[in-house]
Amino acid sequence: MSSNSITSEEEPPHHDAKFHATSYLQFLKLAFKLCTEGSWLFYAWMIVLTAISLVGVHAWAVQVEQGMVVTAMNDHVSWGLYIANFTFLVGLAAGGVMMVIPAYIYHDRDMHDTVIIGELLAIASIVMCLLFVVVDLGRPDRFWHLMPFVGKFNWPVSMLTWDVIVLNGYLLLNLHICGYLLYKRFLGETPERKWYVPFVFISIAWAISIHTVTAFLYCGLGGRPFWNTALLAPRFLTSAFVAGPAFIVVVLQLIRRLTKFKVGEGSIRTLTGIMRITILINLIMMASEIFTAFYTGGAHAVSSQYLYFGHDGRNALVPWIWTSAAFMVIGAVLLLRPKVHEHLWTLDIACVLVFIGVWIEKGMGLIIPGFIPSTLHEWVEYVPSATEWKVTAGIWAGGLMIYTLLLKVAIPVFTKKVSGTRNG
Amino acid sequence: MAQNRRGGNLVFFGVIAVIGIGFVAALVSTWMKSDDWKPGRVTTEASGGGELHPVTIRQPDIQPLVATGELDAHGKPVMVACATCHDNRDPNYQANSGSALEEFHQGLKYDHGNQTCLSCHNSEDYNTLKQADGRAIALNESMTLCSQCHALQHRDYQNGMHGGMTGYWDLTRGGRTRNTCIDCHDPHHPKFPTVTPVFPPKPVIGENPATHDTPSSHHENHE
Amino acid sequence: MSDSSSGGCGSGCGCKSSGESILNRRNLLKATGVTLGAAAFAKALSPLANWTREETSVEQFLQNHYRELDEDGLKQVLARLEEDAHKNYGAKVTIGDHRPQKGVKFGYALNLSICIGCRRCAEACHHENNHDRASGNSYIRVLEMQKGSMDMEHGNAHYDHPVPHPDKFYMPVQCQQCDNPPCVDVCPVEATWKEDDGIVVVDYDWCIGCRYCEAACPYHARRFNWTKPEIPKEEINPNQSYLSNRIRPQGVMEKCTFCLHRTREGQMPACLEACPTGARIFGNLLDPKSEIRKVLDTKRVYVLKEELGTKPNFFYFFD
Repeated sequence: MSSNSITSEEEPPHHDAKFHATSYLQFLKLAFKLCTEGSWLFYAWMIVLTAISLVGVHAWAVQVEQGMVVTAMNDHVSWGLYIANFTFLVGLAAGGVMMVIPAYIYHDRDMHDTVIIGELLAIASIVMCLLFVVVDLGRPDRFWHLMPFVGKFNWPVSMLTWDVIVLNGYLLLNLHICGYLLYKRFLGETPERKWYVPFVFISIAWAISIHTVTAFLYCGLGGRPFWNTALLAPRFLTSAFVAGPAFIVVVLQLIRRLTKFKVGEGSIRTLTGIMRITILINLIMMASEIFTAFYTGGAHAVSSQYLYFGHDGRNALVPWIWTSAAFMVIGAVLLLRPKVHEHLWTLDIACVLVFIGVWIEKGMGLIIPGFIPSTLHEWVEYVPSATEWKVTAGIWAGGLMIYTLLLKVAIPVFTKKVSGTRNG
Repeated sequence: MAQNRRGGNLVFFGVIAVIGIGFVAALVSTWMKSDDWKPGRVTTEASGGGELHPVTIRQPDIQPLVATGELDAHGKPVMVACATCHDNRDPNYQANSGSALEEFHQGLKYDHGNQTCLSCHNSEDYNTLKQADGRAIALNESMTLCSQCHALQHRDYQNGMHGGMTGYWDLTRGGRTRNTCIDCHDPHHPKFPTVTPVFPPKPVIGENPATHDTPSSHHENHE
Repeated sequence: MSDSSSGGCGSGCGCKSSGESILNRRNLLKATGVTLGAAAFAKALSPLANWTREETSVEQFLQNHYRELDEDGLKQVLARLEEDAHKNYGAKVTIGDHRPQKGVKFGYALNLSICIGCRRCAEACHHENNHDRASGNSYIRVLEMQKGSMDMEHGNAHYDHPVPHPDKFYMPVQCQQCDNPPCVDVCPVEATWKEDDGIVVVDYDWCIGCRYCEAACPYHARRFNWTKPEIPKEEINPNQSYLSNRIRPQGVMEKCTFCLHRTREGQMPACLEACPTGARIFGNLLDPKSEIRKVLDTKRVYVLKEELGTKPNFFYFFD
């Protein structure tokens, strides 16, 4: 696979711009075709997702018209389900890197064949992240104020501007890597290393950065003791490396069942191995946070106290966090069984459990208690409103739609079922 | 051939470097731009040190009259001057509550330390007040009287940090009206009265003020 | 070469070569599906179209940041805003552009021994600053605190018994106009900044409503406009300022500005004038003879949450 062997054996065909102009159009045409063709199962899936996203779109439109009063957020709990999902999805996007590292650094063959699935997941997740930020804006019509040069970009002081940079950068990197690899496969040519390997290495560092920066959004706020901990960024990373691989393992199995794409046993085995470690680290970090909070007590423990045990009859988050804790522990136990990858159902269950566990831990279990009690120590609870659930479901449906379509294009191209070349 | 490849690599890394440098330059330039803390447009000049507008202290509008408790034909309370009765009665130096007095003073609420009525009222001339050294002082100069004991409050008042006011903080631009002692403190029971608070915050969804402590609930248990 | 391969998309995907009729049943079905889908999306988005039509305008969309506006631009903006207030609320208002004064930095002090917790300051703020009537918003939150504790954990904003209660003291909290304001740092679009006289202001026409500043503020000083403010015409305070008490649009942040539309004219803030006990002291920190400086010189003042390093310009004291 090294570039040397390629160039020595077969000079890469020289294409001029005109060639690319036409063949790239054909590539897009093919992609469009692949996106709209499929089994009845595919159509049903897409129709369901479209319906859900329609509900979400409508709910969001109403929210913009009537104001964010239709959400359950208020001046005390000023971020809710949207930012919770945003935070989690940044992790999911970063989690894909756990396939990239074995594939490109350690040249894991099985992983190399399937790594695109993780990279495409990153694309879909980042799109969802950006959508969650947009629906959280009170004035989405002023989005252009956030653009460097056009608007006013408060860089480098505001962590949110860093997040804008790293998220969009990560999206572009992955679009480039996936787009390039797919196009080359479509042409039936071997991708040139220099056009993607450097970007892959940048994307590895970048994946760490998106989640670190997102953690810095919260842990840099001195007025919110629950978030104001240096452990937040490492915790974000480990939980991302639990949720990301968990999602991909399930997707790999689905792909194996629904398509003819060859998913090597090695990928699943490696991902399971990664999860075994990350989930333990995640649990240890959680335990040390809990110890610090509860043993010290005082102002720093109030939010944790509320989160885990409620306060004076207020316990909206208690069921959430204990569900999360139970799922994570059960998931960890299942994953730690030595032969878990031979019992695929167990593995699937474990993956679903830890995925949900992390979703709660990083979302409702992290964002909401940061606001409860408020900075003046007032107790206002938060339970997402119907609008918020609709918009959230809509964005997830949209994201899954994007991911499905990306896979729908990538898998046939990768399995060489389709291509635009002489030997195609 | 090899020459060619080296050239290609140079171009490649050149492009990457340019993109990288451009990216960093772009970010730094937004930084430089945003660091330009022009905190607004023109700042107005300091207002000239010209003449200061006056600070007015509200004058107590007190007549040496007392209500008889009766109403006249128009429904207005009938008032009598202090001297009407006190001209020919002996002063009671011990009296320190309304109930100890006769007639009109019965309902008077009195709660002002160990003072007796004649600590402040002048038995020589009930239309004036009496300072500690016995000198008479006009009824509307109560601030002088009060500050004999409440020197700290008076000092704070003179420094502008006691007592309500309205008007201008910047006396070069406008005057100010300040309360006098008895605007807030009834001289007979000077403690500021208990009031019903206005404008309670409206609870939002998810807020349950009912579980908040009222003075009778659990937080009281600290005692 | 490319021609020959144009229709050749293998067997697996089930698509047919474009050599056949484009108008086959499947394509028609697809087209119908796409059309229906697009129509449904358009329908779903119709509230958005309504809002765009009624609540936004091209001028407003393209309006520049306050600090970038030149004199003429600002004049036009102010005229448009006055017109909008008339159109939307039926009120005749004047919106000025009050600038900081040289040699002035505002400070505020509050005597907690004197405050009785009557909330008249909060009420005055509500009316002075044209707050939404429905939510009863105010920039001031008065906490009833337990005597013997400075811990807000024992605070309560919802007390409704005669005040002052003998076991309590009362602590009004509003924007502390910090010298090191976390809310300004976090704003991604510079919609909020600190002016020369120390006031932290918001450009309501630039804020994107991400509410990051609300999360960053340790004093619960910032408020979001969850709806379009609702105020009866006759209750609107017509004396307004761009950065201060003009009626805010929906979906943006707002905050206490020490009533800069009054204080930059030399007047006292509305909350001070409303205080029946004179617990509030306001003035110019740069003038050594000012009342606020006398407080700092002679009283043992403290600031809220000093450990956070926000450097407030709002001081509390007991005497």
